[in-house]
Amino acid sequence: MRIKSKSDFPDSSDGSVHEELSDETLVAQVARGDSSALEALYNRYSSTVLGISVRISGDQLIAEEVLQETFWRVWRHAVTYQPQLGSFTAWLFRIARNLVVDLHRKQNSRLQTIRYDGRDALDIDQTPDPNADVPEQVQSSFKQQKVRMALATLPEEQRQVIEMAYFFGMTRQEIAEATGEALGTIHTRARLGLQKLRRELEKQDFEE
Amino acid sequence: MDNLIEELLPFYALGALTDEERELVEDYLGEHPEVRAQIKEMEFAASALPYSAPPVKPSDRLKKTLMERIAADQRARSSVPVKDSLPRPAKPQNRFMGILQFSFGALSLVVAVMAIALLYGLNRQVSQLQGEVAALKSALVAQANRVEQLNQAFDEVNANLPQATPSALTVFAINGTEVQPDAHGQLMTDPNSHSAVLVVAGLPPLQAGMTYQIWLIEGDTPKSAGLLNVDDYGQGVSILTPDQAFSSFDALGISIEPEEGSLLPTGDIVMLGQFN
Repeated sequence: MRIKSKSDFPDSSDGSVHEELSDETLVAQVARGDSSALEALYNRYSSTVLGISVRISGDQLIAEEVLQETFWRVWRHAVTYQPQLGSFTAWLFRIARNLVVDLHRKQNSRLQTIRYDGRDALDIDQTPDPNADVPEQVQSSFKQQKVRMALATLPEEQRQVIEMAYFFGMTRQEIAEATGEALGTIHTRARLGLQKLRRELEKQDFEE
Repeated sequence: MDNLIEELLPFYALGALTDEERELVEDYLGEHPEVRAQIKEMEFAASALPYSAPPVKPSDRLKKTLMERIAADQRARSSVPVKDSLPRPAKPQNRFMGILQFSFGALSLVVAVMAIALLYGLNRQVSQLQGEVAALKSALVAQANRVEQLNQAFDEVNANLPQATPSALTVFAINGTEVQPDAHGQLMTDPNSHSAVLVVAGLPPLQAGMTYQIWLIEGDTPKSAGLLNVDDYGQGVSILTPDQAFSSFDALGISIEPEEGSLLPTGDIVMLGQFN
């Protein structure tokens, strides 16, 4: 697949000129009130944000609400983003993840220890998005492959603890209770799991 | 490193600590910045996790709604009145007049800016108040509807209690248990009759698939007296028509049950009232 270069964009009025700008440049433009920069970030990451939200909540409506609220917060709080503290995607995904975990917790006073089996529970539209940022979609696809491969190398019990904490927002005590393991075991699994995941991601040249 | 902090770090990176635990870690990081390197390594791994979720294409409608909201926000921001450029002051005739004119000009500018800020503030307050008035009107309409529903329920119970004289009507307090201490209500009945009206408040709406169920208790034996629906304000009214006279029961309880109801109470008892 050919990735567009700057010369492919003779006119910036359609917003596609943003495709070659870095996330950090775009978020700086958003901070100055440029809504087309926000639209570019939306085109770039909305599928991933909705994917996380669907994965965590298992509810299309909640996930869509989270998607809109996440980018609304980017719009309103872009000025608070500090590149030196981490990548834009880390910031963006953290906003989405925290929103969906909070919403999910409010709706389910006791989180279910649902295990993800790799299948999509919802009817998900997989047709290509004509508005999507194509180069970023390709990059995202590579990243997904790398992360899935790295996760697959983790022992099942370590992967389980990491996924319960991240995707279901479960505290270490809740994980210990749900798995019937001692709290100390859960601590060890989380630590070893994250260490191994980092090593595997580095091996595959994963970049945030 | 503190053992507890070491245990908390992976969960800090995964965003899965309680508020208290997170504050503990952040305080520690403030005092021990060298630990940030460890956190960064863990956060690097955690930040990759979103990519393990299959991406889902959002509908065009979502983007349209978001961009419309943003456009409205932009319009609201740009509607802040901007002061036109001030007329250039005449050349001062002397130093004193110059200072005087400059001071006067500066004072005028300050007054103008304050007036604009005040006007803008007032505009915002007016908009806010209009919104509050609309919300209050809506709440009033809802309450009026509720009153109408209650009146209808009382009319119905009156029709069901033709033999009851006002003096025979007894009111029993039904109180929230420790599960739902804010709940309160009353059961109005002629104890010798087979009809009563139960009015409750302070019961939160339940999640889908669950309902409140009313029990009339004789000794240790509860008998279902029907399901109880509550509205968004936590209020509910139910007309009870048991087979036996109310005087044969000792108490009334309300429990949380699956939506189809249960043969015997299985969930928490949220309200209870003794008849003696």
